[in-house]
Amino acid sequence: MKIIVHKEKCQGHARCWAMAPQIFDLDDEGYIMPGDIDVAEEDERLAWKGAKSCPERALEIQQ
Amino acid sequence: METMAARPVPDHVPPHMIGAFNLFDAPGMPPTPNGDPQAATAIVHDGPPIFYSPTNTRDGRGTWVITRAKDQRRVLQDPETFSSHRAIFASALGEDWPMIPLELDPPEHGKFRSLLNPLLSPKRVMALETAVRERAAFLIDRIAAAGTSCDVMTDFAFPFAVNIFLRFLGLPDDRLDEFVDWANDLLHGDNRQRPAAARTIIAFIDDLAAQRRKQPVDDFMSFLVQSKVDDRLLNDMEIRGTGVLLFVAGLDTVAAAIGFDLNYLARNPQDQELLRRDPSRIVLAAEEMLRAYPTVQMIRVATKDIDFEGAPIRKGDYVSCATMIANRDPEEFAEPNRIDLAREDNRHTAFAYGPHRCLGSHLARREIVVGLEQWLKRIPTFRIKEGTAPVTYGGHVFGIENLILDWS
Repeated sequence: MKIIVHKEKCQGHARCWAMAPQIFDLDDEGYIMPGDIDVAEEDERLAWKGAKSCPERALEIQQ
Repeated sequence: METMAARPVPDHVPPHMIGAFNLFDAPGMPPTPNGDPQAATAIVHDGPPIFYSPTNTRDGRGTWVITRAKDQRRVLQDPETFSSHRAIFASALGEDWPMIPLELDPPEHGKFRSLLNPLLSPKRVMALETAVRERAAFLIDRIAAAGTSCDVMTDFAFPFAVNIFLRFLGLPDDRLDEFVDWANDLLHGDNRQRPAAARTIIAFIDDLAAQRRKQPVDDFMSFLVQSKVDDRLLNDMEIRGTGVLLFVAGLDTVAAAIGFDLNYLARNPQDQELLRRDPSRIVLAAEEMLRAYPTVQMIRVATKDIDFEGAPIRKGDYVSCATMIANRDPEEFAEPNRIDLAREDNRHTAFAYGPHRCLGSHLARREIVVGLEQWLKRIPTFRIKEGTAPVTYGGHVFGIENLILDWS
């Protein structure tokens, strides 16, 4: 599973980070780091929840 | 409440698109004992996705009203078409300068946002948590020691939220009551009080900036007067615009959220008991109460003609995205009018969508969660005091005037 990060849509709500700080890394301003995220199998459920928590729909789940 | 001089509906608005609802005098919006103004806005979901409300701002202007959450995202994520340049604060004085970054559009907006974001980032807010918890505990212990009843708004919600905010700005606590009065006059005052409060706040911010420029200390205003955008120091109007925004934004909103939340828990003893027994549920519960009881509406100005879901929006028209309306959208929230403190899928818009997402959202969230945690930990089962009625109101910023709780 992979999370496609649409960095330009991120507005720093940081809901993904609140859900799974070890998966979604933030920069110093509190916005998501650029680059798609490869998710380890054991983290899939949490990554899915984190991606689904984005109010801006900036995180796309790719199975 | 001042009277609103209705302006004529513009000719380009088709008569069948005019709706009766507005956030000021529709049922449930004026001050109401035991009211629920956010729930009262849900009525618009029986109607079309967009309509024109002839008097839907504090100064009686008409706005288009966007009812669906997904359409509000479309508006708020597109600042090129829907501008934030409105000078709300300055216009109370007949002036035209923006509060920063709120009333700037990209790309200018991003420069100031990047300057301020690190100060209120989620990680930075974690460092404030101990101070937030101590302040809440101090205030609530004082209430508990004094008796078995209090007005949550004046005894806890305001002094708590304002203290944390003044601490962030580096301002002394001893003028707290004065600052709260200024904010009240500015946000809820009449035509005489609002400009007077605006002038007082400007003079205070200008004076503070001058002091910090002469002698910087480790606080927000010192940071601001030494900050640069585009390789130059901020000018006086930019410092004023930023200082004023941060001053007014933190005074009212967190206190209102805590008030609405404790009002809900006082009326719903099962939910109160649930959180009391298992405080780890408070984080999720606070999100649900943010969804159900948000307090602000975003207004944008169309920069060009656009047909939006069949509505002919014309350049210069106001477009309202009310958070409380989007948060009750049945297409996005199952059973939106039911409050479910364990709701998981909860992408609410209490802090707005788009580049103007509330800069203070991370601090606000921590204050609300910690405030509720400490309240439930230190105050036994509480209810609305018999013979009293909290007065709620809609309008420009929703709020609750008094909340007398009793735990005797």
